[in-house]
Amino acid sequence: MSSPWNDSGETPMIFEADDVAVHFGGVKAVDGLSFGLPEGKIVGILGPNGSGKSTLVGAITRHVPLTRGTLRFLGEDYGSDRAHLVPHRGIARTFQTVRLLEERTVLENVLLGTDSLVGGGRDERRRAHERAQVAMQRTGCEHLAKERPDELSYGNRRRVEIARAIAMEPKLLLVDEPTAGMGRAEKEEVSALMMSLRAEGLTQLIVEHDVQMMVDTCDILLAMNFGKLIVEGDPREVVRNPAVQEAYLGKQAVKHA
Amino acid sequence: MQELLNTLTLGSIYLLFALGMALAWSTIGILNFAHGAIFVFSAFSAHFISAYVALPMPAIILISVVVGATLSALTQWLAFEPILKRSKNHRSAELRILIGGIGVAAIPIALVDWATASAPFGFANSTYSTQVFEIAGLRVTNTSMIVIIVGLGIAVGLTLWLRRSRQGLGLRAIGVDSETASLMGVNRTAMAIGTMAIAGALAGLAGSLQVFQLQAMGVDTGDQLLIKAFAMIVLGGLGSMAGVILGAFVLAGAESLIFAMNMGTWVDAVSFGLIFLVLLLRPQGIFGRQEVRRT
Amino acid sequence: MIDWYAANSVVIQATMATLLLALSIQLPLRMGVFSFAGVGCFGIGGYTAAIAFTQFDMGTWPSVALGTVLAGVLCYLLGLIVHKLTGLYLGMATIAFTLIVAVVATNGGSMTGGASGIFGALGGITNLHVLILLAVVVVGLAVSEYGRFGRKIDTVREDPELAVALGINVARYRKMTFLASGLIGGLAGAVTTLLRSTITPAEINFHLVVVALTVIIIGGSSSWLGALIGAVVITWLPTVLSFVADWEPIIYGFVVALAAIFLPGGVLGLVKDLMRRRRSGSGTAPPASDAAVTSNDGPTAPEPSRTPVPSQGGAL
Repeated sequence: MSSPWNDSGETPMIFEADDVAVHFGGVKAVDGLSFGLPEGKIVGILGPNGSGKSTLVGAITRHVPLTRGTLRFLGEDYGSDRAHLVPHRGIARTFQTVRLLEERTVLENVLLGTDSLVGGGRDERRRAHERAQVAMQRTGCEHLAKERPDELSYGNRRRVEIARAIAMEPKLLLVDEPTAGMGRAEKEEVSALMMSLRAEGLTQLIVEHDVQMMVDTCDILLAMNFGKLIVEGDPREVVRNPAVQEAYLGKQAVKHA
Repeated sequence: MQELLNTLTLGSIYLLFALGMALAWSTIGILNFAHGAIFVFSAFSAHFISAYVALPMPAIILISVVVGATLSALTQWLAFEPILKRSKNHRSAELRILIGGIGVAAIPIALVDWATASAPFGFANSTYSTQVFEIAGLRVTNTSMIVIIVGLGIAVGLTLWLRRSRQGLGLRAIGVDSETASLMGVNRTAMAIGTMAIAGALAGLAGSLQVFQLQAMGVDTGDQLLIKAFAMIVLGGLGSMAGVILGAFVLAGAESLIFAMNMGTWVDAVSFGLIFLVLLLRPQGIFGRQEVRRT
Repeated sequence: MIDWYAANSVVIQATMATLLLALSIQLPLRMGVFSFAGVGCFGIGGYTAAIAFTQFDMGTWPSVALGTVLAGVLCYLLGLIVHKLTGLYLGMATIAFTLIVAVVATNGGSMTGGASGIFGALGGITNLHVLILLAVVVVGLAVSEYGRFGRKIDTVREDPELAVALGINVARYRKMTFLASGLIGGLAGAVTTLLRSTITPAEINFHLVVVALTVIIIGGSSSWLGALIGAVVITWLPTVLSFVADWEPIIYGFVVALAAIFLPGGVLGLVKDLMRRRRSGSGTAPPASDAAVTSNDGPTAPEPSRTPVPSQGGAL
């Protein structure tokens, strides 16, 4: 299946969704989506509430069953995989609300990213700790290693969560509304982090509301509404597209005034 | 046919007991494990008072109802509300409420046990006397008539009230979304205590009627009924009062059948087995609307 | 010292038996699995061991082994069926299982001795044997509370969806919990029965569930240490306060209710709380709500149970 808008024809798609649909008892949350994620790019999904973005993320991670369609990662159809196998393939995700173990330290929380993916031998344990350290350094939270999440600011909790995802050393990172409730400066930090991860070759899919952040960060933008893809392509062009603006940018502009 | 009548009577008492539990559980989400103890203690209180004063049936029932309502409301106010306040959200409170209910239940049961020296008690000193009639070849007692009429009447009345009245809707709103309901002006705490009072009243009613019907009640009856009520509610479907009515009579019918087949010692297995089967095969019950949480 | 031991030998025995029983429920609670099947497995293990010993002339330890394994297997099978249920529903289904065991025992005819149970199953078990077995179980559980495994278990309990997203096979953990709790419960039942030489249906009913729960509530459900504290308190309190024997059930009830309201973490949780406050200097640390008891919180966003529940992708 070819993706109609593969803007750099030589870049392989590490992920492909083909006519993916998710129906819940009469509601078509995702209604026949097809797209691909080129390796090493940051792809954004823009859409108003209820457009199906989070359901799509759930479908990609196999938390939500597909009504129809295929999912391919690194060339393999993984659409019948059980959800807990998806991280082992190399797909990691963060959640809309930061989900950490409140009773454990930051270091332990980040280590969780490695716990299922790295074995228990002494060498492997050391490797796991190194991965965790590196991940915390990348996100700027290594000084918080011994703190507990309930004592941290929201921005720092976000960093820890992203560190945990990075510690999984994924090949594809799904980021679900990472900047909700953040100020402009913090959003720019997240954006910078994502771009530095891209520089190392990590493919990322980000779901967000903040149009400016998406335009600044993403290589490709997909606009969704009512479970369907309305427009896709260069972020600046997508954002100027009349269909997209009509659908919801009006509300967005008012919201971010 | 005689068995059918017995089933109706038995089922009506089960129904009244289970209605109280179902009401609290499906509206405010409280599964009160002390419901059985309240059932026993209310009937005992009526027995205690009637031992000194010969009372007519309505008075005895009234005492039982009032005691039941009070105990239940107190439990909610003193035990469950504090637990809810100290829990992050309703789900985490559930186990603590379950355990709190078990703890609270031990207190009235211990009192009754001590006062009766573990012997069953009855309403021997009441002015009420059982009369037997013969209608169309069936043995019918005035008691069973009363039980059936009261049981079905209240069940239907409660179902309609919940569906049609403003307070009923308010209650159901709390069950669906407590926060939104309180934002819309529904006083959750007051309604919760009120609901538990009604539930307790139903337990008291069921308790006194059971004593009239069976002439005696043992201390451990409450616990047995608790599990049966759970079976009825699960079978009928949580959130549906009509379901509880169905569940009560199905259970009563199944138990009567077991007795008729001379397998009386297996009778408890009926409710346990029902719980099991329903949860596995059709967890939302027959009329259930709310989603049973599954991982 | 020896005198004290001799004088209190029976109580010590009771404490160990209660602890083993409680551990069979504490383990699943720590996993976020509200299963009380361990109590039913106590009955299965006890009856199996008694029957093997008295009617099939199996020796003490083979009987215990048989009881333990059979209970574990049956509990695992139960788990296969019910592991997808959560919260109260799982709790009630497992309580139903436990009560069915009692009914089967009552109706088992001459094999199970009906309502009077089995007598004369006096195995060659000493307190020391029990202590060793208990130590093995406790060490196993303690190890599972630390490091990688402990973290993963905490995640399975507090946020199963997150656990799946981290690559943890939550369904398998839950099923294995049933196996483990069945083995522990079965062992507890087998050993207790052959130690006391009798078992009756009346001993394995709802009351036993209440006892196990009480132990955990009072001691604290997050760790085997809590179960130990609870078992000691429950078993020794009547001895220490023997003058309140008549009022015992009432005090019992009060203690359980108060613990459920004010001490979600039990005694252990309270101690951990106090240590935390002292460490952080000021008294501003939030009360550490005990993980297992206040568990299954899920995301603090809209309650997942009200929305279409996404099942784990793929088959059962």
